[in-house]
Amino acid sequence: MTKIYQLEFGRKQTGVEDLNLEVEEGQIFGLVGPNGSGKTTTLKLLLGLVFPTSGTGEVLGFPIGHPAYKERIGFLPEGPYFYDHLNAVELLRFYGGLFGLGGKELDRRVQELLELVGMWDRRHIRVRNYSRGMLQRVGVAQALINDPDLIFLDEPTSGLDPLGAMQIREVITRIRDQGKTVFLCSHLLKEMEPLCDNIAILNRGRVVQSGTVDELLAGPQGMYMLRAHTVPQEVVESLRSFATEVRTWDSEIEATFADQKLAAQALEAVVEAGGTVRELSPYRRSLEEVFIDAVGGEAQ
Amino acid sequence: MKAIYRVARATFFEAWRRRFLNAILVFAVLIIGSSWSLAYLQPGAELTLLIDIGLGAIRFFGMLIAVFLGVRLIADEMEKRTVHTLLAKPVTRTQFLVGKLVGALATVWSNILLMGIAFYIVFALKAPQFRNMDPEKGPVVRMDFMYANIAKAIGLSFLEVGCIVAIAVMASTIFSWILAAIFSFFLYFVGQMADFFRVLAQNPDRVESAVQRTFFAILYAVLPHFEVFDVREAILKDQFLPWLTLGKIVATGVLYIVIATLIAWLAFKGREV
Repeated sequence: MTKIYQLEFGRKQTGVEDLNLEVEEGQIFGLVGPNGSGKTTTLKLLLGLVFPTSGTGEVLGFPIGHPAYKERIGFLPEGPYFYDHLNAVELLRFYGGLFGLGGKELDRRVQELLELVGMWDRRHIRVRNYSRGMLQRVGVAQALINDPDLIFLDEPTSGLDPLGAMQIREVITRIRDQGKTVFLCSHLLKEMEPLCDNIAILNRGRVVQSGTVDELLAGPQGMYMLRAHTVPQEVVESLRSFATEVRTWDSEIEATFADQKLAAQALEAVVEAGGTVRELSPYRRSLEEVFIDAVGGEAQ
Repeated sequence: MKAIYRVARATFFEAWRRRFLNAILVFAVLIIGSSWSLAYLQPGAELTLLIDIGLGAIRFFGMLIAVFLGVRLIADEMEKRTVHTLLAKPVTRTQFLVGKLVGALATVWSNILLMGIAFYIVFALKAPQFRNMDPEKGPVVRMDFMYANIAKAIGLSFLEVGCIVAIAVMASTIFSWILAAIFSFFLYFVGQMADFFRVLAQNPDRVESAVQRTFFAILYAVLPHFEVFDVREAILKDQFLPWLTLGKIVATGVLYIVIATLIAWLAFKGREV
């Protein structure tokens, strides 16, 4: 799909270009990218809020924009806004009503969700008096009101304190464990890495890299990483002679090796010198490194 | 229908919390409530003034509320981005638009109802004193049809503000809300003079140029005829307002609402939010 926005005076701006994504059922799919890379445009396209300039897409087997799939999805927008004269219970009852929910079933669902996001004790406060974190929590609750099969979350932990962010991450994992699908947009890479099964990196409206988290984070074939501390300086220097890279800080050392044999040689040297080995494992990059590799060059 | 009802209900309760609109309503009720004292400014024509001020206030303030509410309905949803969560639910753009319109209609009609009740109370209390104010001529006007006609006039105000709300919503789906407000006010005031354009179009003595007469004829055909909702003259003459005439006015009003809603729908169904 391609989305080009028509601006004033005939100017145009590309939202996304040749976007081609496939999300498998029952997984957490992460769409990451810098600000303005097209994450929110992608979500809006999938929700039928904006229309593609070219191309098509399907959500849950229905063409994008079709009312049928909206019965089965949930959506949390970035920096959510709601009718501010309502309190949390009224708000969830309103959204539940749009799905035809009502009566005791809806009451039970509202209580369950507000407890889940830690808002039950504050359920009578009007939305206009909410902090950013409270808005985010109630936003997650409204996105789950219809027990959706697929949930779209745009920056779900934005504005939350560490505890709140952890609670929301737990909610997301629990949704996946129930066999549902989560489509997550965020630029918080450290959060996405342990949470997602699949990730696509978006930059300037294009997918520049995608795959499973293991695929993306895997280093070059056969490389190993050794982490240790209190390694004597002369041993560190000797490691530099056959390591691909050696990084040191405080009393810590992190070294990568081209193959298993060199890694074993280094391990032996460190142990003999009295250093403490913390980890020896196949080399794995962080999502941040992958992201910078994928996006950094283009940004420059 | 459920989605329309839910959106309309939310719109109604949200609109009643808008202080600016409430202030207009309070001001209107105050003017209507004090219209009997203002009526004394014109000795011998107190009843005329009472009806003029009362019904005029209902129409004018009803129009203000209708325009300011109508033009902000969609704009607020877009600016506050509440429309995103709403349209991501099983709510189509059509249901959203109709729901907003129905909620706005319910709001302006409840406003008119309150103003109408206020006027009816003032009228019921004061009109019996005013009708015999001229000792020389006896009763200035008869009261045979007065109460029923006033009820009919208030009923027509319901329809008139309904048209204005629909026009304001329509304009807001096409223009920015400020432009939409200007457009709505303009259409309302020019629409009051629609019949004047017919006179110009049909009178070669007053307008010599055939091109100009054609222009006025087009204006007459295109503009909404808001003057048809003003039946104060008939009330003051205590004429029976025939049901057929009322039926025609009602049909005109409903037609305006339908046309404006259709244009709004055409503009909004392809709008990106």
